[in-house]
Amino acid sequence: MALVFIRTAIIFITLLIIMRLMGKSQIGEMQPFEFVITLVIAELACIPMADSSIPLLYGIIAIVAIFVLHQIVWLLDLWFKPVKTAVCGKPSLVINKDGIDEYQLKSNNLDIGDLIESMRVAGYFSLDDVYYGMYEANGSFSALAKEEKSQSLSVLVVDVGKVDKKNLAMCGIEQSDLNEFLKKQNAELKDVLVMTVNGEGRVYFQKKGEKYKILEIGATNKW
Amino acid sequence: MVKSIIYTVAAILACLGLFIGVEIYMNKQFDEFHGALEILYKKVEDKTANREDGYAVKSLWTDKKSKLHIFIPHNDISYIDYWLSEACGLIYCKEYDLALGKLEVLQEIIKNLPDAYTLKLENIF
Repeated sequence: MALVFIRTAIIFITLLIIMRLMGKSQIGEMQPFEFVITLVIAELACIPMADSSIPLLYGIIAIVAIFVLHQIVWLLDLWFKPVKTAVCGKPSLVINKDGIDEYQLKSNNLDIGDLIESMRVAGYFSLDDVYYGMYEANGSFSALAKEEKSQSLSVLVVDVGKVDKKNLAMCGIEQSDLNEFLKKQNAELKDVLVMTVNGEGRVYFQKKGEKYKILEIGATNKW
Repeated sequence: MVKSIIYTVAAILACLGLFIGVEIYMNKQFDEFHGALEILYKKVEDKTANREDGYAVKSLWTDKKSKLHIFIPHNDISYIDYWLSEACGLIYCKEYDLALGKLEVLQEIIKNLPDAYTLKLENIF
């Protein structure tokens, strides 16, 4: 019996560490340890139910072990701040006054596409719509919105030095126009962290390690 | 919060009590069964064992296994059933040499089975 308890604790801790290492993209709307508990309890409850050769007590002990571990983690969270940070993580400020913080995105295993998607889910359709944007410890996106929101959808044209040709064509921008635009900004394609264009030809442009700029480009396709 | 702490401590204590109780209970049950098997083994060695001796051990095991099912996976218990039934059949046919082999295996299983569920590093991993 004690063996089941210890094994459950080991699996719980392993899962918790793995979920923390996977970053916020894998969590969803729960704290990492809540997610692990949901994941484990479902399986623990099923195995003794479905497999009659395993005593039911094994499932009960494992579930009680999860309860005890949950309570211990919860109490440690309340009493010791560093434990809360270690177990639940902390919010990550991915958009600041300088634009996108690539380091924060990478440390949470996210890319610019994920950030733009999270922003759209939160109701912001342009990177320029927020002063600050952050991923909470539970993986949800929060932002301090600007007074005026963009009235047009922005599409990702350059994502960490790579051109999205489909989006470029959608904006009605030729590759030569893009090259010309980059030349004007004194930037090479590989130096660009992000470039989005909205239906009004408004460009959100950020070079790696630099502050973002709001510019204009001659987009022929207005949407 | 106090209520939560009380529940947690109660759950830990209940688990600890259960672990110790189960450990003691399982060891006692297997020791008793091992003792009965030893006696049967000696009788088989002396070629004096009969059908009743075999069935006495079997009924002792039947009584014990009904409770051990709560703590041990049923497949492990069924191994003992199979080997014991074979040994009893061989004793009934007075095939003592073959019965000795079966009883040896049974003794080995009885010795190893509780060990497989005790808190040891090799069992955890």
